[in-house]
Amino acid sequence: MSTSNVEKLNFFRWFKHKWSNEPLFSTAIALIIMIILQTLVLGFDYDSFGSWFQSWTNNWINILRNNASIGIIALGMTFVIMTGGIDLAVGSTLVATGAFSMILLDTGTKGILGMLGMTGMPAFIATIVLVLLFGYLLGALIGVTITKGNVPPFIVTLGAMLIFRSVTQHFMQGYNTTLPSEFLQIASFNIGNYMIMPIIYWAVIAYILYFVSKRTTFGRQIIAVGSNERAAKLSGVNVDKIKLRVYALMGLLVSIAAIIQVSRVGSMDFSNAGRGMEMDAIAAAVVGGTSMSGGRGFILGTVYGMLIIAVMNNLLNLFGVPPFLREAFKGFIVIGAVLLQRKGNKGNLSPSS
Amino acid sequence: MNHINKAFGRNEVLRDVSFSIKGGEICALLGENGAGKSTLMNILGGVLKQDSGSIVINYHEVNFQSPADSQKQGIAFIHQELNLINDLPIYENMFLGRELKTKSGALDLEKMQKETARMFQKMKLELNPTTMVHDLDASYKQIVEICKAMMANASIIIMDEPTTSLTEQEIERVFTMMRTMKEHEVGIIFISHKLNEVMEICDRFVVLRDGNLVTDGNISDVSTHDLARYMVGYDVRTESLRREKKLGEEVLRVEGLTSEPFFKDIDFSIHAGEIVGFTGLLGDGRSELFQTIFGAEGIPEGKLCLNGDKVTIRSTTQAIEKGIAYLPRNRKENAIIKDMNIIENASIVTWPIFANRGIIYAEKHKEVFESHRRTLRIKMGELTDSINSLSGGNQQKVVLAKWLAANPQLLILDNPTQGVDVGAKEDIYDIILKLADEKIAIVVLSSEAHEIIRVCDRALVMYHGVIQGELSGQDMTEHQIMTLATGGKLLEEEEGHFNEHIEC
Repeated sequence: MSTSNVEKLNFFRWFKHKWSNEPLFSTAIALIIMIILQTLVLGFDYDSFGSWFQSWTNNWINILRNNASIGIIALGMTFVIMTGGIDLAVGSTLVATGAFSMILLDTGTKGILGMLGMTGMPAFIATIVLVLLFGYLLGALIGVTITKGNVPPFIVTLGAMLIFRSVTQHFMQGYNTTLPSEFLQIASFNIGNYMIMPIIYWAVIAYILYFVSKRTTFGRQIIAVGSNERAAKLSGVNVDKIKLRVYALMGLLVSIAAIIQVSRVGSMDFSNAGRGMEMDAIAAAVVGGTSMSGGRGFILGTVYGMLIIAVMNNLLNLFGVPPFLREAFKGFIVIGAVLLQRKGNKGNLSPSS
Repeated sequence: MNHINKAFGRNEVLRDVSFSIKGGEICALLGENGAGKSTLMNILGGVLKQDSGSIVINYHEVNFQSPADSQKQGIAFIHQELNLINDLPIYENMFLGRELKTKSGALDLEKMQKETARMFQKMKLELNPTTMVHDLDASYKQIVEICKAMMANASIIIMDEPTTSLTEQEIERVFTMMRTMKEHEVGIIFISHKLNEVMEICDRFVVLRDGNLVTDGNISDVSTHDLARYMVGYDVRTESLRREKKLGEEVLRVEGLTSEPFFKDIDFSIHAGEIVGFTGLLGDGRSELFQTIFGAEGIPEGKLCLNGDKVTIRSTTQAIEKGIAYLPRNRKENAIIKDMNIIENASIVTWPIFANRGIIYAEKHKEVFESHRRTLRIKMGELTDSINSLSGGNQQKVVLAKWLAANPQLLILDNPTQGVDVGAKEDIYDIILKLADEKIAIVVLSSEAHEIIRVCDRALVMYHGVIQGELSGQDMTEHQIMTLATGGKLLEEEEGHFNEHIEC
């Protein structure tokens, strides 16, 4: 963006143009405003710039780290929504894959890998591979039911949401796991005194998926499928395969999030973990400009969306807004974001003659 | 409408256009895409506001602020995309937005049904008001829409290309309806690209070109040829473009292909460099036949041979790999991906072909598209502009370009000139002939007999899922095609000749 020249000429016109033509512009502005607000609220009441910066950075690292898992899931959700679908089962897939990692790696009596005599590094690698595979398969299972069974995604994932969690809870009751402390390093490994591994995972995955969405056949076919399924099919796009892969990818991303969660906390609350996660992921995607009817979505937008929601939560916290009211703000943000995007896009409609 | 001017930004769309219509008159509004027809009608329909000029209805000057104002003055605009709710019965559609209610506030279904039945009687229609709209064919939907307008006491009805998606039989039905309305002193503005229809149904014509009113007059004083010339501004060809040529190897052979209830026992073969037309009326199964061959509708019974080898095509992806291309009918629903830009719409088919490990080879797509863009004469802005910024004809050319990029050996064109203006139509015919010279086997599906006659070497006419007959050379006339398409046999003296064709 070579903005500086244009900016000097006519900032207002440039702004208006960007506002109505660049889908992510309004989202980015909203994010910047949030960040400025948050910086102001955090205050400048410090001894030195160094200690202010320290505190500012810590706050940011906290925000990013706490939202890394959900941020990763929101990225997958963006793809799912772009195909015109939805995945309500992410929270349940999270506990299912999380539980699976525990069953594999438990240092107590029940760890499968332990029983097979596998410990140390090979066990970690095996666990990660198997958990990712498990997540991928759960997602693929959802995808197959949707495509081959021709059942609406909402129904399939609603069912899967109930099944995955209930089965997990049943088999995991009274199961106390102790995970090897090395496994916890996956998330809590410190780089220069900062626990930023989850943030790095998020950033790397976001970058990869951004590339996938913009530059690969798979990424562009997702848009084609979501925008006009029939036309996509008649253009040689294997619609079922694309959908299947999108749900499988969703499962894979959830399992990554599960590994991060488990290794951060060392355990998982199977009845509560991941509850409402699907809605948060959808909210992030929608705030980031993804259209619920499919065909339009932005990976970068979802990152912005996630950050907007996260920073807002942080702000509400700093302001001391009562916890019960906080969800309401999230609701306003979601609706407000979509209203803003509507308004912005109106200017795009050129009259057809 | 007097001295109407309208501009979008700096783009003048209408310049000093005056237009009038009387009750009981059908007036054709003609012009290429982008000539300003839609804009003019949108002004009359209250959708847009003129920059200057006035609208006078029954000697009163009116000032429309919204479509509702226009409707109040008795103007009904029937759009190409009909505004009917498929899941409601006819009578509820007729009263949509102005439902009749009983005193208690509930819907007065009986009265609505009765009123609808009365309207149908007045219009000499045999339709049951309680039929669900999704059970109606396209022509009856059109007719219901017209009745709906009549129900609202419309005195001027604007029909925007009402016949594009209709078969000849259905068109006749709509025309009958239009003649009845004429008797009831309704003025009809008929927008169409089909000049034969205009000649048949209209009394007067008005031609717009680049926002100017070029000419107007009585239909009885002109020929289709004249009208076409007024529209494009130069002479348009109407003669057949067929010519002698050497055919290559057989590309596609189909034996006993069956997929009930759409088509059964289909036998035919196509050679490289040949242009074969398939025509018929609605429900003839030709689109389903070729969508099946293209792998979009499951696997049929029977035998399908490509280049002499028996093949089974399970998906469109596979069909493309085997060198088959299918340009679908109804561009908007089946071909255009509105959330993608021009270059993406033009390269979606070849993404997997040119891709390197799944990464799109953008440069190559641009290069290929640029070459087709020149031959197809696509008028457009930037490659990254929205596909919606193009006119219908240019959109169709982009869709054609995406198939040419895949270098097919068999190109199936289903209604290739649907909603395309005269100039672009000619361009498309030229391209079809040129591709045949390049030894591509081409199938043209069309409901317009004259189009088949114009470009095809031979025509197969379908009727209710079977091939009713084959015509070629001098036998290929609109009359013969209609005879076969309506289920009839060919005339006595030509029967021997006809059998000969069928057997080969």
